[in-house]
Amino acid sequence: MAHRALAHKSTDDVAVAVADLKAGEELTIESLEGGPAQRVRVLEDIPLGHKIALRDMPEGHVVIEYGERIGRLTQAVKKGGWVHVHNIRTLRWDYGKGNKPTRRRAGKGGS
Amino acid sequence: MPRKRGSLPLTGYRRPNGRVGVRNHVLILPVDDLSNAAAEGVARLIHPTVALPHPYGRLQFGKDLELTFRTLSGHGANPNVYGAVVIGIEPKWTERVASAIAKTGKPVESFSIERHGDLNVINAASRVAYRMAQDASEVKREPIEVSELVLSIKCGESDPTLGLAGNKAQGKVVDRLVDMGASVIFGETSELTGGEHLIAERCATPALKRKFLKLYNDYIAMIEAQGVDLLGSQPTEGNIRGGLSTIEEKALGNIQKTGTRPVNAVLDYAEEVAPGQGLVFMNSSSAGAEQVTLCAAGGSVLHFFTTGQGNIVGHPLIPVIKISPNPITCKTMREHIDVALPDLLVGEIGLEQAAERILEVFVRTVNGRLTAAELLRHNEFVLTKLYPSA
Repeated sequence: MAHRALAHKSTDDVAVAVADLKAGEELTIESLEGGPAQRVRVLEDIPLGHKIALRDMPEGHVVIEYGERIGRLTQAVKKGGWVHVHNIRTLRWDYGKGNKPTRRRAGKGGS
Repeated sequence: MPRKRGSLPLTGYRRPNGRVGVRNHVLILPVDDLSNAAAEGVARLIHPTVALPHPYGRLQFGKDLELTFRTLSGHGANPNVYGAVVIGIEPKWTERVASAIAKTGKPVESFSIERHGDLNVINAASRVAYRMAQDASEVKREPIEVSELVLSIKCGESDPTLGLAGNKAQGKVVDRLVDMGASVIFGETSELTGGEHLIAERCATPALKRKFLKLYNDYIAMIEAQGVDLLGSQPTEGNIRGGLSTIEEKALGNIQKTGTRPVNAVLDYAEEVAPGQGLVFMNSSSAGAEQVTLCAAGGSVLHFFTTGQGNIVGHPLIPVIKISPNPITCKTMREHIDVALPDLLVGEIGLEQAAERILEVFVRTVNGRLTAAELLRHNEFVLTKLYPSA
């Protein structure tokens, strides 16, 4: 059966939708590098190419994809939720600028 | 000597200096903005010649001037060029560009406009271009080896379908080509942000690693010296629409296409790359046309370009093979895509099959098949400018 979403590594926090996902879909998400598949219920519509959370994550969580750090959550995300610019920000230039400011910090944070 | 593993049925054009091209262009090269009109005049009169109009070449100085000279003469020297007619407003810089090209042993003639005027120059230069184009038409393709080629890669209008599928397949292709002895150039300095440590670890020697990190850090410092960061431009609006959320995520997807082999050379903008160097990092902008132009100046004769949302860039002298795993892009922008891989994205074919599909189109393109970008006249030639002119 064709994949609906795929993770890079089974330990990643997020997977990538390879088709437009609809809220309520029950998915079995495999990883490109093997490891156990994960059962995830899609919480909201997620477009092709966008990320779906593979576990509940709190605000401030550093999200792992490709086994690497890709950014910090600006709000909590539930398993099956959509992870994108409304709730994740880069660890570079992480000082509160941009469209979705968190709080201003002195100096550079993050990486 | 480069490692050779397997061989591909390729043909190309062998130049007097031994370098190998996959196209056979006669180039009409303006040295400066003022000479575009004459160069384009010649290219309109004589078939099939290519002019490279551009907006610079006057009152540049220092490293910026050197880069413009290197980019212009690098295009003349590119093995896809049979011969070049160089036109500039005054003789001195014109001669400088022409003599750098002449070192390759290929036919080069130069013309300056001052004390002659456009019409006399167009007349004289067209007669030379006429002869050059006719001579070029009699040069035959001959069998060549992958190990004689300098190639290059980039992705653009990226989205997560590249990191997941398109760039992973391209990475397999790069590994195979490097193992067969090709040189493959990659760049996009600022778009390595978040994955620069992974490239640094792959540098073949500690000295190369230091050189790479210096180029990377200098590039980021140059951006930050403007009092800004890349938050507003990286990821781009197209990237965000496609699903990329941060520069780190974009970079990690980006570097998938570099494969797994060591980085054997670290070069600055448009520096010359020889065959047999393996994987080569070249400092560059991440803007498509600028990076492809720098690679062509460094001697790349063919470019692989993976795209998610549909970057349509081409180049006047080197074929740009466009590869996309995104089903929406492959459906709505089909005429721009040379290798469609939506079946890879959903797992209907594997990475090895996808790599084979790219390599098959690579072989046909080397042997003369026109790319989507060539057919659609995507002739982007964009000089990288380091700072304002005097």
